[in-house]
Amino acid sequence: MAHVKIVPIGSARDAAIDAGAYARNLAALEERERQLLERRAKVQAGWGATYVERVHQKLTARERVERLRDAGTELYEVGTFANFGRLFGKLESPAAGVITVFAKVHARWCVVIANDNTVASGSWWPRTPEKIERAQEMARRLRLPVIYLVDCSGLYLPEQAQSFPGATGAGHIFKKNALLSAEGVPQIAGVFGDCIAGGGYMPIISDRVYMTESAYMVIAGAALIKGAKSQELSSLDIGGPEVHVHASGCADVRAPDDVTALAMIRDDIAKLPSSAADYYRGGVDAAEPMHDAGEVEGLFPADHRHTWSVEEVLARLVDRSLFKEFLPERGREIVCGVARVGGLWTGFVANRQGIVPDAEQRDGVKPAGILYRESIAKTAAFSRACEADGIPLVWLQDIAGFDIGVEAERLGLLGYGSSLIYANSTNAVPMFSVLLRKASGAGYYAMAGLPYDPIVQLATPLTRLSVMEGRTLAIATYRTKLDANFEIATTDPEERSKLEQAMKDTEARIEGDMDPYKAAAQLDIDEIVRLRELRPWLVALIEMAYQATGHRTVKNPRIWSLHDLDALTEPR
Amino acid sequence: MFHKLFIANRGEVAVRVARTARTMGIRTVGAVSTADRGASWTKALDELIGVGSGPPRESYLQQERLVQAAVQSGCTALHPGWGFLAENARFAALVEAHGVTFVGPAPRAMDQMGLKTPAKRAARAAGLPVIPGSDGPLRDETEALRLAHEIGFPVMVKADAGGGGRGMRLVREPKDFAAAWQAASSEALAAFGDGACYIEKYLERGRHIEVQVMGDRFGNAIHLYERECSIQRKHQKLIEESCSPCLDDATRERIGLLAANLTAALRYAGAGTVEFLRAQDGAIYFMEMNTRLQVEHPVTEERTGLDLVRMQLEVAANQPLRISQAAVKTNGHAIEVRINAEDPARAFAPSPGVLSVVDIPTHLGPGRVRVDTHVAAGDEVPPYYDSLLAKVIAHGSTRAEAIQTLLACLRNARVEGVATTIPVHLAVLGSHAFQSGQYDTGSIPGMQE
Repeated sequence: MAHVKIVPIGSARDAAIDAGAYARNLAALEERERQLLERRAKVQAGWGATYVERVHQKLTARERVERLRDAGTELYEVGTFANFGRLFGKLESPAAGVITVFAKVHARWCVVIANDNTVASGSWWPRTPEKIERAQEMARRLRLPVIYLVDCSGLYLPEQAQSFPGATGAGHIFKKNALLSAEGVPQIAGVFGDCIAGGGYMPIISDRVYMTESAYMVIAGAALIKGAKSQELSSLDIGGPEVHVHASGCADVRAPDDVTALAMIRDDIAKLPSSAADYYRGGVDAAEPMHDAGEVEGLFPADHRHTWSVEEVLARLVDRSLFKEFLPERGREIVCGVARVGGLWTGFVANRQGIVPDAEQRDGVKPAGILYRESIAKTAAFSRACEADGIPLVWLQDIAGFDIGVEAERLGLLGYGSSLIYANSTNAVPMFSVLLRKASGAGYYAMAGLPYDPIVQLATPLTRLSVMEGRTLAIATYRTKLDANFEIATTDPEERSKLEQAMKDTEARIEGDMDPYKAAAQLDIDEIVRLRELRPWLVALIEMAYQATGHRTVKNPRIWSLHDLDALTEPR
Repeated sequence: MFHKLFIANRGEVAVRVARTARTMGIRTVGAVSTADRGASWTKALDELIGVGSGPPRESYLQQERLVQAAVQSGCTALHPGWGFLAENARFAALVEAHGVTFVGPAPRAMDQMGLKTPAKRAARAAGLPVIPGSDGPLRDETEALRLAHEIGFPVMVKADAGGGGRGMRLVREPKDFAAAWQAASSEALAAFGDGACYIEKYLERGRHIEVQVMGDRFGNAIHLYERECSIQRKHQKLIEESCSPCLDDATRERIGLLAANLTAALRYAGAGTVEFLRAQDGAIYFMEMNTRLQVEHPVTEERTGLDLVRMQLEVAANQPLRISQAAVKTNGHAIEVRINAEDPARAFAPSPGVLSVVDIPTHLGPGRVRVDTHVAAGDEVPPYYDSLLAKVIAHGSTRAEAIQTLLACLRNARVEGVATTIPVHLAVLGSHAFQSGQYDTGSIPGMQE
């Protein structure tokens, strides 16, 4: 069966969901979406108009990115909410002072890392190094060219202890520069301003380094050079293009201004191999889902205890709403299958919600949104098959965790879970995780959550990320004081009310921690996206996964091991 | 060439496709609903596979079942005919995904030409004149009104996702614009979930002229001249003829070339129709492109001597077009009428029933007559489907001779057991307006309505 028998999935909106429920879901989402757009806009404004004015004899970092990308293409930014809500003294560091973004340049996806010169002259805050390294890692895994738009006055010194010495401290950026170079990933740097210390190191491992006439790179600026003041030496004299292009050779080309330098970088990218994505489409054109991708907004109840239809969501994410499910009769709580996204084969693993048949008990049923033995085994087999076949995997999470209890242990869920963990951990195929709503406990791990190195992890305004729900955690914390039904055991009214309050506090704190912005602020989520943006994000990510040739398996669909799974389960 | 062809259609369509397949030595497998089982037309097919019950939704529109039937019966190509799934890009993609060649253009081309805005943009890019209007849907009423003034009243407000007349309003005076815009927009929002509308100049008493095109997978594209289909009742074509009596030769060549250019620009492979509207002042505008063979294709076949189904199958099998533009020759005049099982006395209500007599004479002359039909005496006309019983195509050396031939045939035709539209055709063909060639889409000559 060399033909992958994708079939129609999902139905038109009025058949998919009751109109009242759709409207309610939209209404419940509206406030969160508004908040997302507002917060995004606030972060993107950097330190605001005053600082934009201050840098405006040059371009701002965002203006540079705008000029770099192909006209009419979308930017896909990651790490927008890094350091969100965190204060250093009285200062905020929007986006941790650096823009990391996927941009199309001459039809090739690139990772652009641009110091935000409107936020403390592009200096590095705590978590700025980690954010840059994460973007570098995305580029390394996908073999995408990296473009550094450097305009960085070094570490933000008052907080240096948090960003200098550690394993992922600023110096690790340069190690990543070196690794990217060693692995043959193209790196190009444009140096646009004051690049002191780290800002000076970052560009120069690049294949090509452009410097504008107002840029300099120095290990230490004039302020630290003995006698500089008396000799009237500026940093530009010490490390400007006169020095680095002509004398030291640390840069290659000088450009009169930002605009010219950016045009030169674009020209360089055009000389790289073009994207292989269209080759891997195999003559099939990219196509929109038959059911509008924007409709996913109305499919999810905001209340994480209410269910939704995984088929209807998949139908709005995949090309022409055509999908092939593998082992549909087994482990129903998980959907594994393949479809085309932007014309390119993509594997999906998604949690089904609601009630499903109990595989261990004839005619029995059990709640889905949880992993049981059969679905864990199925997912492990599917994950291995996608790895073997070179099909990028998208994990769509809304999961409460593993099944627990006497039966779960007797069936060996620990062992089955480990087998899934092993498969995901050793996968080299690009994986992307999307935390649709709940991402709880070991379920989050088993479904390729961030500790399992998905290349990008997305969340939605509905995401709740935690080891367990607040209520459960409160029970676990105070279990010695609870009876077999998790009710408070004591009859003493005073002790009882104290305990009640303590449990409530614990629950509230955990609820607060589940806020996706909190996770995004500490880089546990790469980006929070609107539900209607999910499909365009997946199209972009999958296209990136097929851009470069020669670094990973991409089998043609004739020789997929997935066919074996199918052959064994097709009705005779 | 394919050895076995699945025909995902019924009745006259299936018979027409099967006829050509047989001459090419291709075995045919037909889909058949329980309502059609035993109908005489099913004998035209080599094999039959039941695909469900009478209502099309349960049979001829069951995409997965049709594909499964094609795969299991060993067919390597599927012809969708016209109607049903013929312009469904998702169905075409599904067929291709299962390793069966879809006899039609690529799904991408169907997507592009199936939506009004991308289709208009593509046409404009290929150098075709398009009706003045908004480039794409508008959401803002003030912006729409400004544009309406710019292009001049009357204008048509249409939902982008629309169809079947829903979300469509004619506005003659600026003062009526706001009400019409809001009505169309809310109708569109209710019906299609999107209230965006576009506006277009409304051209009164226009003539519907369409050009048959054919492209192959090597970038070649030709046109096979035009058909005029201005005799319509509620947007349903009644009579089609070629050549159009309202075009001069220079215009004829020009619109043919424009249509072929568009076909080439789209890298469109297969049969298609580029529809134009000729305004009263003689200006010609691109309307839309139909990405399939049309009901009225025999008009073109009779005038050019080409078999369009054969050409479709050859293109689908990756053969280059065998004929160059210069070699396309036309001869005489052809007119087609559609005989439907409808009762003109009862507002054209469908008239199902059992046919007691079907006799359409083809020998009366002076020209020749072709009858494309799937019915014979004794057949039942099921209530579920298109009411077409037969297409009668007359060819004469001149337009007058073609009309005379068709009149002679229809006056002597006997189709009994159900009511038919033959009396309407006799009235139209016998009218002075039709015979003079002075007619348009606004009214039906020879009929008082």
